[in-house]
Amino acid sequence: MDIDDILADIDREALPQESLDLQELTRAWVTERVAPELLPYPDALMERVSARIRRQIELVEEQTGNMDPKTNFSLIIIQTELERFKFLVRSFLRARIAKVLIRVRKQYLSAHHALLSSHYQASFLSQFPPLLQRLDDTAGGVSMVDAPDLDSAVFVRVLKDVGVVSVEGTDTIFEMQRGDVFVVRWRVVRERVLVGDAELI
Amino acid sequence: MALPLPRGLTPPEVAFICEMELVTVIPRQRLDALELLGGPTPALRPPHRNNIPLWLALLLKRQRRANIVPPPWLQPAALSAILEFETKHAKDVFSPPPKLPPSADGSNMTSPPFLPSSTADAPPDALPYHWLELGEMLLNAAPDDFEEPDQVRRLMRDLREVRMAKLRAGVDVLDAGGGVKMNGVGGMEVAEGRAFIGGVIDGLRKIGASREQSRREGEADGGANGYGRTADYDDDEMDV
Repeated sequence: MDIDDILADIDREALPQESLDLQELTRAWVTERVAPELLPYPDALMERVSARIRRQIELVEEQTGNMDPKTNFSLIIIQTELERFKFLVRSFLRARIAKVLIRVRKQYLSAHHALLSSHYQASFLSQFPPLLQRLDDTAGGVSMVDAPDLDSAVFVRVLKDVGVVSVEGTDTIFEMQRGDVFVVRWRVVRERVLVGDAELI
Repeated sequence: MALPLPRGLTPPEVAFICEMELVTVIPRQRLDALELLGGPTPALRPPHRNNIPLWLALLLKRQRRANIVPPPWLQPAALSAILEFETKHAKDVFSPPPKLPPSADGSNMTSPPFLPSSTADAPPDALPYHWLELGEMLLNAAPDDFEEPDQVRRLMRDLREVRMAKLRAGVDVLDAGGGVKMNGVGGMEVAEGRAFIGGVIDGLRKIGASREQSRREGEADGGANGYGRTADYDDDEMDV
Protein backbone atom coordinates (compact mmCIF):
# COMPACT_ATOMS: atom_id res chain seq x y z
CA MET A 1 0.00 0.00 0.00
CA ASP A 2 1.62 3.28 -1.01
CA ILE A 3 0.67 6.82 -0.18
CA ASP A 4 -1.71 7.08 -3.18
CA ASP A 5 -3.73 4.14 -1.92
CA ILE A 6 -3.99 5.59 1.54
CA LEU A 7 -5.06 8.95 0.16
CA ALA A 8 -7.59 7.33 -2.14
CA ASP A 9 -9.13 5.39 0.74
CA ILE A 10 -9.33 8.45 2.97
CA ASP A 11 -10.91 10.40 0.11
CA ARG A 12 -13.48 7.72 -0.34
CA GLU A 13 -14.40 7.51 3.31
CA ALA A 14 -14.82 11.25 3.48
CA LEU A 15 -17.68 11.14 0.97
CA PRO A 16 -21.06 11.82 2.63
CA GLN A 17 -23.84 9.23 2.28
CA GLU A 18 -25.70 11.62 -0.06
CA SER A 19 -22.86 11.54 -2.60
CA LEU A 20 -22.47 7.76 -2.34
CA ASP A 21 -26.21 7.37 -2.93
CA LEU A 22 -26.07 9.59 -6.01
CA GLN A 23 -23.29 7.38 -7.39
CA GLU A 24 -25.24 4.24 -6.62
CA LEU A 25 -28.48 5.57 -8.11
CA THR A 26 -26.72 6.71 -11.28
CA ARG A 27 -25.10 3.31 -11.65
CA ALA A 28 -28.41 1.50 -11.01
CA TRP A 29 -30.12 3.65 -13.65
CA VAL A 30 -27.44 3.06 -16.29
CA THR A 31 -27.41 -0.67 -15.55
CA GLU A 32 -31.18 -0.92 -15.86
CA ARG A 33 -31.17 1.07 -19.12
CA VAL A 34 -28.48 -1.14 -20.63
CA ALA A 35 -29.00 -4.70 -19.28
CA PRO A 36 -31.31 -7.03 -21.22
CA GLU A 37 -33.16 -8.26 -18.12
CA LEU A 38 -34.86 -6.86 -14.99
CA LEU A 39 -32.37 -6.54 -12.11
CA PRO A 40 -32.88 -6.68 -8.31
CA TYR A 41 -34.56 -3.57 -6.92
CA PRO A 42 -32.31 -1.50 -4.59
CA ASP A 43 -34.85 -1.12 -1.75
CA ALA A 44 -32.77 0.66 0.87
CA LEU A 45 -31.25 3.09 -1.63
CA MET A 46 -34.61 4.05 -3.11
CA GLU A 47 -36.08 4.58 0.34
CA ARG A 48 -33.25 6.94 1.35
CA VAL A 49 -33.43 8.84 -1.93
CA SER A 50 -37.23 9.27 -1.88
CA ALA A 51 -37.16 10.47 1.74
CA ARG A 52 -34.55 13.09 0.83
CA ILE A 53 -36.49 14.19 -2.26
CA ARG A 54 -39.61 14.59 -0.11
CA ARG A 55 -37.75 16.73 2.44
CA GLN A 56 -36.21 18.86 -0.30
CA ILE A 57 -39.63 19.50 -1.87
CA GLU A 58 -40.92 20.64 1.53
CA LEU A 59 -37.95 22.97 1.89
CA VAL A 60 -38.63 24.49 -1.53
CA GLU A 61 -42.30 24.97 -0.67
CA GLU A 62 -41.45 26.71 2.60
CA GLN A 63 -38.92 29.07 1.05
CA THR A 64 -40.69 29.98 -2.18
CA GLY A 65 -42.38 32.94 -0.51
CA ASN A 66 -39.02 34.39 0.50
CA MET A 67 -38.22 37.34 -1.76
CA ASP A 68 -34.62 37.86 -0.62
CA PRO A 69 -32.65 37.65 -3.90
CA LYS A 70 -29.80 35.70 -2.32
CA THR A 71 -32.01 32.91 -0.96
CA ASN A 72 -33.88 33.09 -4.22
CA PHE A 73 -30.86 32.09 -6.25
CA SER A 74 -29.99 29.27 -3.84
CA LEU A 75 -33.53 28.06 -4.34
CA ILE A 76 -33.05 27.99 -8.11
CA ILE A 77 -30.01 25.78 -7.65
CA ILE A 78 -31.83 23.51 -5.22
CA GLN A 79 -34.76 23.19 -7.57
CA THR A 80 -32.55 22.50 -10.58
CA GLU A 81 -30.87 19.68 -8.70
CA LEU A 82 -34.21 18.40 -7.45
CA GLU A 83 -35.43 18.13 -11.05
CA ARG A 84 -32.28 16.22 -11.99
CA PHE A 85 -32.87 13.75 -9.16
CA LYS A 86 -36.51 13.33 -10.03
CA PHE A 87 -35.53 12.62 -13.62
CA LEU A 88 -33.04 9.95 -12.49
CA VAL A 89 -35.57 8.20 -10.27
CA ARG A 90 -38.36 8.42 -12.84
CA SER A 91 -36.25 7.18 -15.73
CA PHE A 92 -34.92 4.32 -13.59
CA LEU A 93 -38.46 3.23 -12.64
CA ARG A 94 -39.78 3.60 -16.17
CA ALA A 95 -36.96 1.45 -17.54
CA ARG A 96 -38.00 -1.20 -15.00
CA ILE A 97 -41.70 -0.89 -15.84
CA ALA A 98 -40.90 -1.45 -19.51
CA LYS A 99 -39.27 -4.74 -18.54
CA VAL A 100 -42.00 -5.74 -16.07
CA LEU A 101 -44.61 -5.16 -18.79
CA ILE A 102 -42.78 -7.68 -20.94
CA ARG A 103 -43.21 -10.17 -18.06
CA VAL A 104 -46.93 -9.48 -17.73
CA ARG A 105 -47.30 -9.78 -21.46
CA LYS A 106 -45.53 -13.12 -21.21
CA GLN A 107 -48.09 -14.39 -18.70
CA TYR A 108 -50.90 -13.42 -21.02
CA LEU A 109 -49.10 -15.00 -23.95
CA SER A 110 -48.51 -18.27 -22.17
CA ALA A 111 -52.23 -18.59 -21.39
CA HIS A 112 -53.03 -17.68 -24.97
CA HIS A 113 -50.42 -20.10 -26.22
CA ALA A 114 -51.81 -22.99 -24.16
CA LEU A 115 -55.17 -22.56 -25.88
CA LEU A 116 -53.58 -22.17 -29.25
CA SER A 117 -51.35 -25.21 -28.96
CA SER A 118 -54.18 -27.52 -27.88
CA HIS A 119 -56.14 -26.23 -30.85
CA TYR A 120 -53.21 -26.83 -33.21
CA GLN A 121 -52.68 -30.24 -31.71
CA ALA A 122 -56.29 -31.23 -32.27
CA SER A 123 -56.62 -29.84 -35.76
CA PHE A 124 -53.38 -30.70 -37.52
CA LEU A 125 -50.21 -31.17 -35.49
CA SER A 126 -51.20 -34.70 -34.39
CA GLN A 127 -51.02 -35.79 -38.02
CA PHE A 128 -47.43 -34.52 -38.45
CA PRO A 129 -44.43 -36.78 -37.87
CA PRO A 130 -43.45 -36.55 -34.15
CA LEU A 131 -40.26 -34.66 -35.00
CA LEU A 132 -42.21 -31.70 -36.38
CA GLN A 133 -44.86 -31.50 -33.67
CA ARG A 134 -42.91 -29.33 -31.24
CA LEU A 135 -43.72 -25.65 -30.88
CA ASP A 136 -40.63 -24.81 -28.82
CA ASP A 137 -38.04 -26.00 -31.29
CA THR A 138 -34.58 -24.39 -31.26
CA ALA A 139 -33.17 -26.24 -34.28
CA GLY A 140 -30.97 -24.30 -36.67
CA GLY A 141 -30.11 -21.72 -34.04
CA VAL A 142 -33.57 -20.16 -34.31
CA SER A 143 -35.64 -20.46 -31.18
CA MET A 144 -39.41 -20.58 -31.63
CA VAL A 145 -39.68 -19.03 -28.17
CA ASP A 146 -38.94 -15.36 -27.64
CA ALA A 147 -37.26 -14.55 -24.30
CA PRO A 148 -34.97 -11.78 -23.03
CA ASP A 149 -31.71 -12.45 -24.84
CA LEU A 150 -29.27 -12.94 -21.97
CA ASP A 151 -26.49 -13.45 -24.48
CA SER A 152 -26.81 -10.01 -26.07
CA ALA A 153 -23.68 -7.88 -26.12
CA VAL A 154 -23.12 -5.23 -23.42
CA PHE A 155 -20.39 -2.67 -22.77
CA VAL A 156 -18.79 -3.22 -19.38
CA ARG A 157 -16.12 -1.42 -17.33
CA VAL A 158 -14.09 -3.60 -14.93
CA LEU A 159 -13.77 -2.15 -11.40
CA LYS A 160 -11.88 -4.98 -9.72
CA ASP A 161 -9.26 -7.37 -11.12
CA VAL A 162 -11.33 -10.42 -12.00
CA GLY A 163 -8.81 -12.60 -13.84
CA VAL A 164 -9.31 -14.72 -16.93
CA VAL A 165 -12.84 -15.21 -18.20
CA SER A 166 -13.94 -17.57 -20.95
CA VAL A 167 -17.06 -17.49 -23.09
CA GLU A 168 -18.69 -20.91 -22.97
CA GLY A 169 -19.00 -22.61 -26.36
CA THR A 170 -16.41 -20.39 -28.09
CA ASP A 171 -12.64 -19.97 -28.17
CA THR A 172 -12.92 -16.54 -26.59
CA ILE A 173 -10.78 -16.09 -23.48
CA PHE A 174 -9.86 -12.70 -22.05
CA GLU A 175 -8.48 -11.18 -18.88
CA MET A 176 -10.54 -8.59 -16.99
CA GLN A 177 -8.39 -6.03 -15.18
CA ARG A 178 -9.47 -2.95 -13.25
CA GLY A 179 -10.08 -0.11 -15.69
CA ASP A 180 -10.60 -2.29 -18.79
CA VAL A 181 -13.64 -1.79 -21.02
CA PHE A 182 -15.07 -4.78 -22.91
CA VAL A 183 -17.90 -5.59 -25.25
CA VAL A 184 -19.09 -9.00 -24.15
CA ARG A 185 -22.15 -11.19 -23.67
CA TRP A 186 -24.30 -10.16 -20.73
CA ARG A 187 -24.43 -13.75 -19.45
CA VAL A 188 -20.62 -13.85 -19.12
CA VAL A 189 -20.35 -10.76 -16.88
CA ARG A 190 -23.81 -10.82 -15.24
CA GLU A 191 -22.64 -12.10 -11.86
CA ARG A 192 -19.66 -9.72 -11.84
CA VAL A 193 -21.95 -6.75 -12.44
CA LEU A 194 -24.44 -7.87 -9.77
CA VAL A 195 -21.72 -8.08 -7.07
CA GLY A 196 -20.13 -4.81 -8.23
CA ASP A 197 -16.83 -6.07 -9.65
CA ALA A 198 -17.78 -4.49 -12.97
CA GLU A 199 -20.32 -1.94 -14.19
CA LEU A 200 -22.34 -1.61 -17.38
CA ILE A 201 -21.79 1.57 -19.37
CA MET B 1 -45.45 5.02 -18.09
CA ALA B 2 -43.02 2.52 -19.49
CA LEU B 3 -39.94 3.99 -21.07
CA PRO B 4 -40.44 3.84 -24.84
CA LEU B 5 -36.70 3.86 -25.51
CA PRO B 6 -34.56 1.02 -26.84
CA ARG B 7 -31.88 -0.56 -24.66
CA GLY B 8 -28.78 1.62 -24.22
CA LEU B 9 -28.33 5.25 -23.26
CA THR B 10 -29.37 7.97 -25.70
CA PRO B 11 -27.00 10.90 -26.39
CA PRO B 12 -29.06 13.30 -24.19
CA GLU B 13 -28.85 10.77 -21.35
CA VAL B 14 -25.07 10.53 -21.79
CA ALA B 15 -24.89 14.33 -21.66
CA PHE B 16 -27.01 14.27 -18.49
CA ILE B 17 -24.49 11.93 -16.85
CA CYS B 18 -21.61 14.07 -18.09
CA GLU B 19 -23.13 17.07 -16.28
CA MET B 20 -22.28 15.32 -13.00
CA GLU B 21 -18.53 15.60 -13.79
CA LEU B 22 -16.64 17.96 -11.51
CA VAL B 23 -15.16 21.09 -13.10
CA THR B 24 -13.21 23.97 -11.62
CA VAL B 25 -14.81 27.43 -11.46
CA ILE B 26 -13.58 30.86 -10.48
CA PRO B 27 -16.59 32.51 -8.83
CA ARG B 28 -17.34 36.17 -9.52
CA GLN B 29 -19.91 36.32 -6.72
CA ARG B 30 -20.21 34.81 -3.30
CA LEU B 31 -22.42 31.79 -2.92
CA ASP B 32 -23.01 30.03 0.38
CA ALA B 33 -22.53 26.31 0.77
CA LEU B 34 -25.68 24.40 -0.13
CA GLU B 35 -26.99 21.07 1.15
CA LEU B 36 -28.01 19.39 -2.07
CA LEU B 37 -29.52 15.94 -2.55
CA GLY B 38 -26.27 14.66 -3.98
CA GLY B 39 -24.16 16.08 -1.15
CA PRO B 40 -22.97 19.54 -0.07
CA THR B 41 -21.52 22.13 -2.47
CA PRO B 42 -18.57 24.23 -1.29
CA ALA B 43 -19.03 27.89 -0.37
CA LEU B 44 -17.85 30.04 -3.30
CA ARG B 45 -15.73 33.10 -2.44
CA PRO B 46 -14.18 35.09 -5.29
CA PRO B 47 -11.49 34.70 -6.45
CA HIS B 48 -10.90 31.27 -4.93
CA ARG B 49 -11.21 28.30 -7.22
CA ASN B 50 -13.57 25.46 -6.37
CA ASN B 51 -14.68 22.19 -7.91
CA ILE B 52 -18.41 21.83 -8.52
CA PRO B 53 -20.56 19.63 -10.78
CA LEU B 54 -20.75 20.73 -14.41
CA TRP B 55 -24.53 21.34 -14.35
CA LEU B 56 -24.05 23.87 -11.54
CA ALA B 57 -21.04 25.43 -13.24
CA LEU B 58 -23.08 25.91 -16.44
CA LEU B 59 -25.90 27.52 -14.45
CA LEU B 60 -23.47 29.94 -12.74
CA LYS B 61 -21.76 30.66 -16.06
CA ARG B 62 -25.03 31.44 -17.81
CA GLN B 63 -25.82 34.00 -15.09
CA ARG B 64 -22.27 35.40 -15.26
CA ARG B 65 -21.66 34.44 -11.67
CA ALA B 66 -18.56 32.35 -12.44
CA ASN B 67 -15.93 31.49 -15.03
CA ILE B 68 -15.07 27.89 -15.84
CA VAL B 69 -11.45 26.75 -15.97
CA PRO B 70 -11.13 24.35 -18.95
CA PRO B 71 -9.44 21.08 -17.90
CA PRO B 72 -5.75 20.72 -18.86
CA TRP B 73 -6.45 18.04 -21.49
CA LEU B 74 -8.76 20.51 -23.28
CA GLN B 75 -5.85 22.87 -24.09
CA PRO B 76 -4.59 23.01 -27.70
CA ALA B 77 -1.13 21.67 -26.83
CA ALA B 78 -2.55 18.69 -24.92
CA LEU B 79 -5.12 17.91 -27.61
CA SER B 80 -2.45 18.09 -30.34
CA ALA B 81 -0.25 15.67 -28.42
CA ILE B 82 -3.15 13.23 -27.91
CA LEU B 83 -4.14 13.58 -31.57
CA GLU B 84 -0.59 12.81 -32.64
CA PHE B 85 -0.57 9.75 -30.39
CA GLU B 86 -3.91 8.59 -31.81
CA THR B 87 -2.76 8.95 -35.43
CA LYS B 88 0.92 7.97 -35.26
CA HIS B 89 1.46 5.65 -32.31
CA ALA B 90 -1.80 3.85 -31.65
CA LYS B 91 -3.28 3.20 -35.07
CA ASP B 92 -5.79 0.55 -34.01
CA VAL B 93 -6.63 1.43 -30.43
CA PHE B 94 -7.76 4.53 -28.55
CA SER B 95 -5.24 6.52 -26.54
CA PRO B 96 -5.20 5.24 -22.95
CA PRO B 97 -7.78 6.87 -20.64
CA PRO B 98 -6.86 8.35 -17.24
CA LYS B 99 -6.21 5.50 -14.83
CA LEU B 100 -8.86 4.66 -12.25
CA PRO B 101 -7.61 5.67 -8.79
CA PRO B 102 -5.76 2.89 -6.97
CA SER B 103 -7.96 0.58 -4.94
CA ALA B 104 -5.73 -1.34 -2.56
CA ASP B 105 -8.42 -3.41 -0.85
CA GLY B 106 -10.71 -3.48 -3.89
CA SER B 107 -13.35 -1.33 -2.23
CA ASN B 108 -12.98 1.83 -4.31
CA MET B 109 -15.78 1.53 -6.86
CA THR B 110 -15.89 5.18 -7.91
CA SER B 111 -15.89 5.60 -11.68
CA PRO B 112 -16.80 8.32 -14.19
CA PRO B 113 -18.58 10.72 -13.95
CA PHE B 114 -17.61 10.91 -10.26
CA LEU B 115 -13.84 11.00 -10.67
CA PRO B 116 -12.15 14.42 -10.88
CA SER B 117 -10.90 13.88 -14.43
CA SER B 118 -11.95 17.28 -15.78
CA THR B 119 -10.97 19.64 -12.97
CA ALA B 120 -8.12 22.14 -13.30
CA ASP B 121 -5.65 19.64 -11.81
CA ALA B 122 -6.68 16.66 -13.95
CA PRO B 123 -3.91 14.98 -15.99
CA PRO B 124 -3.26 16.71 -19.35
CA ASP B 125 -2.26 13.63 -21.29
CA ALA B 126 -5.42 11.50 -21.35
CA LEU B 127 -8.96 11.91 -22.67
CA PRO B 128 -11.45 11.08 -19.90
CA TYR B 129 -14.61 9.02 -20.50
CA HIS B 130 -16.82 12.07 -21.15
CA TRP B 131 -14.24 14.04 -23.18
CA LEU B 132 -16.44 14.70 -26.19
CA GLU B 133 -19.61 15.74 -24.38
CA LEU B 134 -17.76 17.82 -21.80
CA GLY B 135 -15.61 19.55 -24.40
CA GLU B 136 -18.59 20.44 -26.56
CA MET B 137 -20.64 21.69 -23.64
CA LEU B 138 -17.82 23.93 -22.42
CA LEU B 139 -17.14 25.27 -25.92
CA ASN B 140 -20.83 26.09 -26.33
CA ALA B 141 -21.48 27.60 -22.92
CA ALA B 142 -18.13 29.19 -22.11
CA PRO B 143 -16.13 29.90 -25.30
CA ASP B 144 -14.80 33.09 -23.66
CA ASP B 145 -13.10 31.00 -20.95
CA PHE B 146 -10.83 29.44 -23.59
CA GLU B 147 -7.76 31.18 -24.92
CA GLU B 148 -8.16 29.70 -28.40
CA PRO B 149 -11.66 28.25 -28.70
CA ASP B 150 -11.49 27.80 -32.47
CA GLN B 151 -8.24 25.89 -32.24
CA VAL B 152 -9.73 23.65 -29.54
CA ARG B 153 -12.84 23.11 -31.64
CA ARG B 154 -10.76 22.09 -34.66
CA LEU B 155 -8.66 19.64 -32.67
CA MET B 156 -11.76 18.14 -31.05
CA ARG B 157 -13.26 17.59 -34.49
CA ASP B 158 -10.08 15.92 -35.76
CA LEU B 159 -9.91 13.68 -32.69
CA ARG B 160 -13.51 12.73 -33.11
CA GLU B 161 -13.00 11.75 -36.74
CA VAL B 162 -9.86 9.73 -36.06
CA ARG B 163 -11.56 7.86 -33.23
CA MET B 164 -14.80 7.24 -35.14
CA ALA B 165 -12.72 5.71 -37.94
CA LYS B 166 -11.10 3.40 -35.38
CA LEU B 167 -14.49 2.43 -33.99
CA ARG B 168 -15.63 1.49 -37.50
CA ALA B 169 -12.40 -0.32 -38.38
CA GLY B 170 -12.63 -2.23 -35.10
CA VAL B 171 -15.60 -4.14 -36.51
CA ASP B 172 -13.07 -6.41 -38.26
CA VAL B 173 -11.97 -7.92 -34.95
CA LEU B 174 -15.50 -8.52 -33.64
CA ASP B 175 -16.54 -12.13 -33.34
CA ALA B 176 -19.43 -14.10 -31.93
CA GLY B 177 -17.80 -14.59 -28.54
CA GLY B 178 -17.40 -10.89 -27.85
CA GLY B 179 -14.73 -10.14 -25.27
CA VAL B 180 -13.44 -7.25 -27.37
CA LYS B 181 -11.31 -4.82 -25.41
CA MET B 182 -12.19 -1.16 -26.00
CA ASN B 183 -10.15 0.70 -23.38
CA GLY B 184 -10.29 4.45 -23.80
CA VAL B 185 -13.65 4.54 -25.58
CA GLY B 186 -15.76 7.57 -24.66
CA GLY B 187 -19.33 7.72 -23.32
CA MET B 188 -20.78 9.34 -26.42
CA GLU B 189 -18.84 6.93 -28.61
CA VAL B 190 -20.38 4.00 -26.75
CA ALA B 191 -23.85 5.50 -27.23
CA GLU B 192 -23.25 5.94 -30.95
CA GLY B 193 -21.57 2.59 -31.55
CA ARG B 194 -23.71 0.41 -29.29
CA ALA B 195 -26.46 -0.49 -31.73
CA PHE B 196 -24.00 -1.29 -34.52
CA ILE B 197 -21.31 -3.13 -32.54
CA GLY B 198 -23.84 -4.98 -30.40
CA GLY B 199 -25.80 -5.85 -33.54
CA VAL B 200 -22.76 -7.31 -35.28
CA ILE B 201 -21.76 -9.44 -32.28
CA ASP B 202 -25.34 -10.62 -31.70
CA GLY B 203 -25.75 -11.37 -35.41
CA LEU B 204 -22.54 -13.40 -35.56
CA ARG B 205 -23.59 -15.29 -32.45
CA LYS B 206 -26.95 -16.21 -33.97
CA ILE B 207 -25.28 -17.42 -37.17
CA GLY B 208 -22.95 -19.64 -35.15
CA ALA B 209 -25.49 -20.66 -32.52
CA SER B 210 -26.04 -24.27 -33.57
CA ARG B 211 -22.32 -24.93 -33.88
CA GLU B 212 -21.78 -23.37 -30.47
CA GLN B 213 -24.63 -25.41 -29.03
CA SER B 214 -23.18 -28.71 -30.22
CA ARG B 215 -19.76 -27.73 -28.95
CA ARG B 216 -21.18 -26.87 -25.55
CA GLU B 217 -22.95 -30.26 -25.41
CA GLY B 218 -19.69 -31.91 -26.43
CA GLU B 219 -17.85 -30.11 -23.63
CA ALA B 220 -20.50 -31.13 -21.10
CA ASP B 221 -20.37 -34.80 -22.19
CA GLY B 222 -16.60 -34.83 -22.25
CA GLY B 223 -16.47 -33.28 -18.80
CA ALA B 224 -18.88 -35.85 -17.38
CA ASN B 225 -16.83 -38.74 -18.71
CA GLY B 226 -13.48 -37.26 -17.81
CA TYR B 227 -12.41 -37.21 -21.45
CA GLY B 228 -12.78 -33.47 -21.99
CA ARG B 229 -9.41 -33.00 -23.60
CA THR B 230 -9.72 -35.91 -26.01
CA ALA B 231 -13.16 -34.80 -27.10
CA ASP B 232 -11.87 -31.31 -27.89
CA TYR B 233 -8.98 -32.76 -29.79
CA ASP B 234 -11.34 -34.83 -31.95
CA ASP B 235 -13.38 -31.75 -32.68
CA ASP B 236 -10.33 -29.89 -33.92
CA GLU B 237 -9.34 -32.79 -36.13
CA MET B 238 -12.70 -32.77 -37.82
CA ASP B 239 -12.46 -29.07 -38.59
CA VAL B 240 -9.22 -29.68 -40.51
